[in-house]
Order: sequence, then structure tokens, then C-alpha cells
Amino acid sequence: MGWRVDNELQQMLRDSAQGYLGDAGGAPHARRVRALSDGFDPATWASFGELGWTGVLLPERLGGSELGLEPALTLAEELGRSIAPEPFVASSVIAGTLLSAATTDAATELGIALAQGRRSVTLAWQENRGSLGLPPFVTCLQNGMLSGTKVHVPGWHPGVALLVAAVSATGPVVVLVDPTAAGVTITASRLTDATLAADIVFDRVAIADDAVLLRGAAAEAALQLALARGTVALSAQLEGLAGALWQMTASYMKDRLQFGSRLSDFQALRHQMVDLSAGIELAAASWRAAATALDSGVGVDLAIHAAKARCSQAAQDMSRWAIQYHGAFGYTDEADVGLFVHAALAWSTWLGNPAAHRRAALVAYRSGNVRHG
Amino acid sequence: MAEDLNALSHDAFRARWREWLHANFPNEWRIPIIHRLAGEDERRWHRMTYAAGWRAPSWPKEYGGLGLSLEKQLIMNEEMEAHRCARVLDSGGALLAPVLMKYGTEEQKARYLPAILNGDDLWCQGYSEPNSGSDLASLGTTAVKDGKHFIINGQKIWTTLAAFADRIFVLVRTNKDVKKQAGISFILADMDLPGLTVRPIMNLAGEDELCEVFFDNVCVPTENLVGALDQGWTVAKALLGDERITNGAPTLPRQSFEMLEQLVQGLDLGDDQGVNDRVAVLLCDLHDLAALHRQVADAAIRGEVDNAVLSMMKVLATELFQHITDEMLRVSNESAGLVEPVGIGGLDTDLRKLFMVARPSTIYAGANEVQRNIISNMLLGPAAK
Repeated sequence: MGWRVDNELQQMLRDSAQGYLGDAGGAPHARRVRALSDGFDPATWASFGELGWTGVLLPERLGGSELGLEPALTLAEELGRSIAPEPFVASSVIAGTLLSAATTDAATELGIALAQGRRSVTLAWQENRGSLGLPPFVTCLQNGMLSGTKVHVPGWHPGVALLVAAVSATGPVVVLVDPTAAGVTITASRLTDATLAADIVFDRVAIADDAVLLRGAAAEAALQLALARGTVALSAQLEGLAGALWQMTASYMKDRLQFGSRLSDFQALRHQMVDLSAGIELAAASWRAAATALDSGVGVDLAIHAAKARCSQAAQDMSRWAIQYHGAFGYTDEADVGLFVHAALAWSTWLGNPAAHRRAALVAYRSGNVRHG
Repeated sequence: MAEDLNALSHDAFRARWREWLHANFPNEWRIPIIHRLAGEDERRWHRMTYAAGWRAPSWPKEYGGLGLSLEKQLIMNEEMEAHRCARVLDSGGALLAPVLMKYGTEEQKARYLPAILNGDDLWCQGYSEPNSGSDLASLGTTAVKDGKHFIINGQKIWTTLAAFADRIFVLVRTNKDVKKQAGISFILADMDLPGLTVRPIMNLAGEDELCEVFFDNVCVPTENLVGALDQGWTVAKALLGDERITNGAPTLPRQSFEMLEQLVQGLDLGDDQGVNDRVAVLLCDLHDLAALHRQVADAAIRGEVDNAVLSMMKVLATELFQHITDEMLRVSNESAGLVEPVGIGGLDTDLRKLFMVARPSTIYAGANEVQRNIISNMLLGPAAK
């Protein structure tokens, strides 16, 4: 671990995650989920519920473990190491943050189901690909009717509970929508990590009053926090993935002989592996700094943009070199390296890619007069 | 200062140090990055801090230092950085003293440490030789024992501030019949000894701080040997752990990034997306390096020292410093070719000099290629030859 030191709770969670994911997770699990048409495995999600992971941010009143963000990020890092295709970030972190903030009966019922791993939940917020942070919503709730279009809704499968962020006469709202209701049109696409993302059109969909879970300032604040936490958690997942892929590549290089030497003995390759490791160390420090900033409220925007940019970049860089150093074998579907690369592609481009986040970091720095270090 | 600075809260300590620093640090020394206090200026700084009770923050109290916690040492550095202070090398206090504390005899400690504290002795470090740079252990300057003396012959090079030093600590070969690391000794010498001459070398930044030091039958008493004979390689590695953390701070990248932003704004390039995208990369590099340094320092405060990451931060910080000065050249057109301050955006600095000062950072203190070798040995195991 070196400089990365867990507190007791984090260490416990990490041990439990490594134990469970070591037996059930990793590449074989990713292959199994890839073979499912829905890209979602309810049995594994239920196990996540039993382990307390789906409700890691949910309050006790919903049956959650309410452990807070830090332990959730430890989990995200471990889930990244084992390229878990489960919708932990979309459901446990983003939707979980919204359900924690809501107090309606429908939110309570759904929160309990999430904590138990019986349901997964997703939030439809984006209206254009490439947007960072909350956009001004066009999707509108008016006179009990929801209309608008959402894109790239993550963790999609037929059994998912759908939350939709929209604007109303009294400010932003978060509503619970039945995906089978009249006026809902769903186009699901397969992502490189084997999960589905949906584009959804709402055409005057009837929304009952009790399906509005959050309104006004509370909705706005919960949405902001949900996306911020989700971005940091996804960053931790990416850094975990990159670290595991580094290890996998290093092991391969120590076994593979060419010209009578192990690949790991060639200086050019060793130096490149050092640089990749440095990128991963920076990534690990960056998402931790973002979590600290989110907690203290100081320099939040810069820290989160920097973290997602760094962790995404580290995962993408490690992916390219992992293929290269595995040689032609790395280009086969049989090699597990490809599963990591595919997961890295989906995760590093969701919630803002590196270039977009770096631009946003500079804007945050120049507008906020925040110190960069 | 009789009171225990460690007993102060961090905020109170920071306020106390800042107040003294702002009241006493000479304005003409407030030139960050490109200026280093040398000779009588350096001596004056040690005397000022010694008289005011601020000298040697990392030294244990039993040797007359402040015995400050790592957190408070970092606070002192942060305040000096924020006040845009010139750099101070302090070879005696930072490099030699930890060696003497660990391996010196009681006589050596009593003789040399107080004079380092009060500024009477300025030291220089004689390690590199013309044919022994990154491969330091191959050094060939010899010391031959002759009764109660060592006779030293050979040449050192890149000896920083040797022309201003009162004394030098040198690595010399005392045994040619063993593995190269096992035949080296650590010896102290006065700079005014017969046969010892110094020749400053003009560098690309227009400074002559680095010197050649020639030893022609220089005669040094045997009590100037530090540690056991032939054990100099081990002795030389005894740096105070804390110094490696405080030295690893991304001070130069941070200060140069602020200058780059001054340039970008002064040249009205704030809306140039090409420039912005490159600056954004540097900003994120700086932000994340600072985040890493802070967390590595926190871990060190808890007693966890990660050697691979310490070396990595040296590589990252020096290369980032260079990338930032590269970008300064890229945006400033013909101004980059001037041998005088550019005066853009209030930046009163010679860009060429900044660019040049950044060059050797990837060479000194273990060239970055050597650092990568060392780190790869830690991460991947030693490479087969």
C-alpha cells in the first residue's frame, strides 16, 4: 500500500471486497455478464446487497449501512480492480445519494429495495453527450406530464428503477418513472464494459404526485452531490482498474521470454512501466484529494475535474501499453487484458472524458482563484 | 527562543513564522526559482535564523535544532514559497549534518555542528567527478593513508557553491581491490588547505555556482574520516528522512506555473483554446502532484515512507518544471530569445534563464533515467544483466 493507508473500516471493507471478488469476480465474472443479453446479473447484485455494498451510502432508516463516502470509494477502487460490471456507481452512489435525500414513501420503498440488492436504480440526467455537471434541463414536468429526451442512462436493464431529473414550474425535480408507462420510448445500446446504456424519450408521460421524490433546492443540491460523488467514485474505479492492469502486465512481462531475456528485464520497457505506475500513483492521490475537497467544500470543482481527468487518462494509458506489452496475445479476446481495456473505455468516457475535465479544471482554477495545490 | 514551537497549534506556528519571515526576509532576496543565496548572503541567512531561533527546523534538539514535526517543517517551507523567497541550499545543515549525527564521532559533532548552525562554516559536497556522474560509485579520487594523515589526489566536479565554502565533505577511494561501492570513504577537508584549488564553471543560465575542485596531494588528518574506513558509500546515504519529503515539494513547478499564467494573461491568450488545452494539462499535473506530495507527507508523518514514490515525485516534479518552462517559451514568441526580463503581464523575469534553470533539475540529485532504474528495481525487481 505504501503511502495509501486505510482506516480500520476501509481495511475491513477492502478485505471483504477482495475476498468476495477474488472468488466470484474478476475476468470470469465479466465474461459471464458479457454473455447476458441484459448485461446485468441480478444474483451478483443481490450478493452486493447482502454484503452491504448497494446500501453503503443509504441511511439506516432505509436499511443502509450509511458508511459514508470514503468507504464507498474504497469499494469502488476494489470493484475497479476486478472490473465489476455491476452498476455500483450509477446505482449505489448516484441514485443512492438521491434516495438518501428524499423522504417520500416511494423513495423509502425504493431505497430499502436498493439496500437489499433487490433492485438497481439509475438516474437519467444527461440530455446531450459530453455534458459535464448539471445542464439546464429541457426535460420538463408540467401539469403532471413529463416530456423530454435523456441520453446515455447507465446501468440499463428491464428491471431497473428509473429516476429522471427534470425542470418544473417550481424548479428542478427528481421523479420516479415506470419505464413501461405509455409515452416512454427506450433505445438501449451495449457499452464496452458489457452493460447497457439507454436513450429515452418521454412524450407526455403521466407522473403521479407521489412519484416526485425531490423538489426545488433539495433536488438541485441532491443532484449536484450525486454527480460529484459519482464522478469521484468512477475515478476511484478507474484507478483501481489501472492498478490491477499494471500488475497483470508486470506479471506477464516477468514470465515472457524473448531474445533470451524476460520482457521485464528490458530497460525501455521498465522505464515505461515506471511512468505508467507514476500516473496511477497520481490518480490514486487525485481522487482521494477530490473526496477530501468534497468533504470540506474547498476547491471542489478543480479537484473533481482533475481527478476524473487523471484517473481516466491513467486507465486509458495503461490499457494501450497493456495490449502492447502482452504482444499479439494481448490483441486476442481470449486474453483477459481486453476485458480491462473495454471496461476502461466505457468508464473513462462516461461522466466526462479526460480532455473535457482538464478544460473544466482550468476554467475552475481561473474563475475560482483556488490554489492548485 | 526557549519556548517549545512544537507545542504551538499549526495555525499559531504558521502565523508566528510568517510574521518573522515577512518582517526580516530581505526584499532583495525575494526572487523565486532563479535565485539562490550564495556565500555571504547564505551565511547571513543562517545567522539571522539562528539568532531568532528559527535555524535547523529538522535537526533534533540535542544538536541545537528545533526538532520540529514534519508538519511544521512543511509549514515553514510553504510560507517561504508563498513569500517568493530565493532558494537556500544549506549543504552543511541539510546534507552533512544528518551524516555527522548518525556516523560522526562525539568530537566531530562538537566541532562541526555548532559552526553549521551559527553560519560560521559553509560546506560544499564533493561527490561527482568528471568520469563519475550518474555512476557515482565509480569515482577515482584517492585518499592514501600516511601515518596520521590521508593524502588526497584527484578531481571533483559540479561542486555547488564550492567557491564560497569554508569546508568540503568528499567521497574518496581508499580501496581499489574490492567491489566499487565497498572501497569508498567519507572525509572532511578545509577548503584553504595547500594543494586544494577551485575553478568555477560558467553554466547555461549564466551562473558560476558549480565548480571544479582539484586535490593535489592535499593532506588531511585521519580524524577527519567519518564512519569506518571504506564505509563511505553507506555513510553518504544517511539523509534525514524528513528532508526527502520537504525537498520533494512541487515548489518550482508551482511558482513557474504562476509565472506561466501571468504570461498567458499578459499576452491576452486566455481565450486561445490551443494554449488553454496545453496549460490545462500542466495545471492538472501540478494539482495532482501537489495532492500526491501532501498525502505522501501525511503518510510520512504517520511513519509510512514510500521510497518508490519519493523517487517518483523527484522525476515528476522536475519534468513538470521543464514542461512549464517549455510552455512559457512556446507562448512568448521572440520575447523568449531576450537575455533580459520580458515585462509581460508584470513578469519581471528573463525567460531564457527560467528555461535554463529548469534544465539541470532532471540531471542532478540522481538523473531521472537513473531514478527510473531505481524505481523499476523496486517495482519489478532487479533487472538481469
